[in-house]
Amino acid sequence: MQGKPGHFSKPSLNRPGFVLFTSHPDGETTINGWIEMETENQQREEKGTDVKNPKTDKESSDFTMKNLYGHMEDIQKAQQTLMARYHFSVRRQIYIGNVVVFLFAALIAVILILNNEQVQTRLEFLEFVNDFSSEIQQARRYEKNYFLYGTNLDDAIENIHLANLIFTKESETFSELQDQVTRQEILKKINAYEALLGELLQNQKADVPLPMNTPHASKEIETRLRGYGQDILASAQSMMTVEKRALERALKRSRDIHIYSIIVLLVILALNSYLLVGRIYSTLNRFASYAQRIASGDFRPILPKRKFRDEFTDLAVAINEMIKEIDTREAVLIQTHKMRAVGTLTAGVAHELNNPLNNIMLTVHMLMEDYHDMPDDERMEMLEDVIKETDRSRKIIRNLLDFARESSSAMESVDLEELLKGTVHLLENQIRLSGISIEIQFTDDLPRIHGDAQKLQQVFVNLLLNAIDASSKGQKIQVMGCLGEKGDSVKVNVVDYGHGIPKHILSSVFDPFFTTKPKGRGTGLGLSVSQGIVAKHGGTIKAKSDKGSGSCFTVILPVITFPEFESFHL
Amino acid sequence: MSNELKILLLDDEHIVGKRLKPALEKIGCSVEVFQDPLEAIKRIEEKEFDIVVTDIYMEGMDGMQVLEKVHAKCPKTKIIMITGYAMISLARDAMEKGAFDFIAKPFKPDDLRKIIAKAAEALGSPIDFSASGN
Repeated sequence: MQGKPGHFSKPSLNRPGFVLFTSHPDGETTINGWIEMETENQQREEKGTDVKNPKTDKESSDFTMKNLYGHMEDIQKAQQTLMARYHFSVRRQIYIGNVVVFLFAALIAVILILNNEQVQTRLEFLEFVNDFSSEIQQARRYEKNYFLYGTNLDDAIENIHLANLIFTKESETFSELQDQVTRQEILKKINAYEALLGELLQNQKADVPLPMNTPHASKEIETRLRGYGQDILASAQSMMTVEKRALERALKRSRDIHIYSIIVLLVILALNSYLLVGRIYSTLNRFASYAQRIASGDFRPILPKRKFRDEFTDLAVAINEMIKEIDTREAVLIQTHKMRAVGTLTAGVAHELNNPLNNIMLTVHMLMEDYHDMPDDERMEMLEDVIKETDRSRKIIRNLLDFARESSSAMESVDLEELLKGTVHLLENQIRLSGISIEIQFTDDLPRIHGDAQKLQQVFVNLLLNAIDASSKGQKIQVMGCLGEKGDSVKVNVVDYGHGIPKHILSSVFDPFFTTKPKGRGTGLGLSVSQGIVAKHGGTIKAKSDKGSGSCFTVILPVITFPEFESFHL
Repeated sequence: MSNELKILLLDDEHIVGKRLKPALEKIGCSVEVFQDPLEAIKRIEEKEFDIVVTDIYMEGMDGMQVLEKVHAKCPKTKIIMITGYAMISLARDAMEKGAFDFIAKPFKPDDLRKIIAKAAEALGSPIDFSASGN
């Protein structure tokens, strides 16, 4: 059964053989219970394979899965949810960043062009005001000459006319720069000035005496003329000052726009890079840590957390696919390796099986031989012996088959001492054949751990088979259990006094395909598989050895806490 | 009966002794049954047996050691090895160490009787195997 084992709800029924050995070491009284458990178990398995169990579906949505292997449905679901999100790729983020920078630059350019335009207009206006005021000044100079010497009146009229022309023509162009009231006033004054000059000219033509000769008559005109002249000049001057200030402001604004736009542009660029780098860098970092955890045997899929998907989602989906493959392969590898252990154990079982078979054979033959000469109760006794021995054979085989069965993994509360007693029982024949003695010492009241009993048993079978291989006849193997240093873990030492492991290869013993056993005897996968299983439980496995004086393998398993419960997210 | 064969039967399975004792007694042997190899060795020290039938794999002491002890004590005694582990190499070992024969579990009572008869013949006191009542 590859799928989900969630439907094994009662842990005690999950491993009937195990219960059998631990609670009834002599195994005499549990035959009926055994059969029931077995059928129950089978029914469940059938249910699990043929019919889709609604409970299984429900559990698959719970991502804090309590199983070590077979996350298939989890992965499928995670894949779908990962892909269902709104697509916001890194590429899009780069595009958007660039577009924002471009739009900002374009906006700045437009503003600068408009500002420049304004500066230019003001410069032209200044030029115009300058021309205008110089014409007026000229006219005034001629006017002064006229009043002093009676000359240049024509020139004055010409200049003021020119000024009038400039003003009326150009002020149309710069109408937006001028105050309309001031403009009208200036225009009025120019016209008045021009009119006065015209009056003077007519007087001259009518032979009216020259102004210096008729002080009284012309005095009045002169005063008015001067007043207008001064006013016009003053207006031109003030217009010039105003425009100069405006020009300065425009130039200053242009400079400010340059400086601030560069600053803002830098900020936009920095922000964009920061967001982009942050997004890429932090995700890459997260992936690095996921990769590490996957390497250590944590095969849970990456789950969706963000509200959008991007290129990294594609990577996560690919990684999930990979996890699926590895998970399947590891499960197969573990089972394959288990079958090798079963092969080794079979030799012991075959031997062990010959004893009850021999007892049955002898009993039945003697019963046949002496059937008629025997009292009834003796015949009954012999038949009972046959039943007992048959039962014993069945248990021997069941023990091994139970270990060999490819079961779905299920997390349950495990008493390591019971587990190890069961394991040693499984290996009993092997141990007896090798002439090795085995001691189990566990400190009292050890906490139970949370784990997959079958997979853990496989770990200890591997360790014990290695210890048996390393030991010679008459030596002993010790299995010691105690609380870990911090009290949050249980430590099991498997100690042998065999040939030990040389220092230079000690670091490689957990590598896959590394073996010191003769060709054809070891796959080199036992310790590698064991390490994988222990890692999945959040535990560690360590080896200590001195050549010639034996080895000690320590398995440390956490009591409750499980690193598995924190999930991968993207 | 002076020519009664004295047999010591050692096997840690109690049913083996329980069934084989009457089976061998029927062919005119006197049989002492032991489950504990150390007790058996003690008995061997005390009494001379014609034939010792011993299991190979036992707790405490294995059949090979028993074989050596019996040989040291009484080289004349024929030793028949029983084991559940029928391996050629083991049989060869036993024979090399001077065992008379080798029988693999599971066996019928008659299989052992035949070997015992052969051993009796080798000892020079043949038994009438057909007298077993078959």
